[in-house]
Amino acid sequence: MASTSLSEKDAHPNPYAPATPVVPSYFNPVSPFFNAYDRFASWRADLGLPQPGSVENLQKEVKATHLSNYIFDGARADLTKSLSVNPLFQVTHSFALGSQTLPSSYNFGAIFANQKVFLQGSIDHEGSVSARFNNGWTANNVSKVQAQLSQQAEQNMIQLEHDYHGQDFTVNVKAGNPSPANLTGIFIGSYLQSITKNLAIGFETLYQRPTPQNSEFATSYLAKLTSSDKNWIATGQLQPSGILQATYWQKLSEKVEVAADLQVLSAPTRRDAIATLGAKYDFRAATFRAQIDSTGKVSALLEQRFIPAFAFLVSGEIDHFKNAAKVGVGVMIESTTLTPEEMGMIPPP
Amino acid sequence: MPSEETKERIGKVVEVGRTILHYGWIPLIIYVGFTRSNPQPSLIKLISPLA
Repeated sequence: MASTSLSEKDAHPNPYAPATPVVPSYFNPVSPFFNAYDRFASWRADLGLPQPGSVENLQKEVKATHLSNYIFDGARADLTKSLSVNPLFQVTHSFALGSQTLPSSYNFGAIFANQKVFLQGSIDHEGSVSARFNNGWTANNVSKVQAQLSQQAEQNMIQLEHDYHGQDFTVNVKAGNPSPANLTGIFIGSYLQSITKNLAIGFETLYQRPTPQNSEFATSYLAKLTSSDKNWIATGQLQPSGILQATYWQKLSEKVEVAADLQVLSAPTRRDAIATLGAKYDFRAATFRAQIDSTGKVSALLEQRFIPAFAFLVSGEIDHFKNAAKVGVGVMIESTTLTPEEMGMIPPP
Repeated sequence: MPSEETKERIGKVVEVGRTILHYGWIPLIIYVGFTRSNPQPSLIKLISPLA
């Protein structure tokens, strides 16, 4: 009897049954969720949102245009020696003296890098070592370790970091001086997501636990607006302590870039603001940066490359409100033990 | 929460690791770079700033 009822069912197939036969699988009970996820992922890919870049590099263009990161005073010399190009291996001897703010120093650095690994270390004449290690698991997954080691115990620092670049978002987690014994340290997590082709928004949360007894959270909010032709970028960052930082960067031509930066601090106890305006000119054999800010400082930096292996730097800064000035000169010499063929400059016949 | 003894042991391990990293990091990079470089440089060129 059972067989006849089965054949009747076959003769009149259920119109509500799925058109495609269901393949038996252990995932069948949860497959609707997988299907929903796949549909969501393909819908998200169809939006074609760009990669927003990492939170750390939010103001990368502004920092590369302004000379705050490049200025120095006194005299300095950097001797870089490339010993290998692929994999990259180079050593650097840096000398600095006569600075008003920093003591004279000698620094030896070494860099090794290939497609997956980046190793960097430097040691100064007092024996302090700074170390940096990056490991790329895949093109989008990078783990980073940074350490600062010196003879004084309180100046030691270690930072563990992991970066993930998704199709239209970036996640980054950091742990500074984490202690496995009592779970103290500084922990930072950040997320940046493109929501339209031009706009990306995100946040950065800082969890601070200096002692096991007390801890605190702080979240800052970020936004980045990029023009469609990538010729200008505006960013904003709001920190919970009442600091608002807004930047604007524009590429005026192939050789000229300008950047503006405005920092507003409006805490209940203190109100302050600093505006900085800078420009960068790229010439055929030179780079010139000029900057003026609202604290009365005017500064300029010229990097002149006479031959590819020899560069000469002059920097100057005048503080009009304090009537102070700083001047710096430097040389950068690059030498190599490689022949031009080995460096890949002349293609072998 | 780990016991006092475990905490002390962790502290000791961290201290030893820190010392090894402090004295071994630059030699490690030099060794890795020296052995993996293509072509292999001579040692005197590696250390001296002028050679």
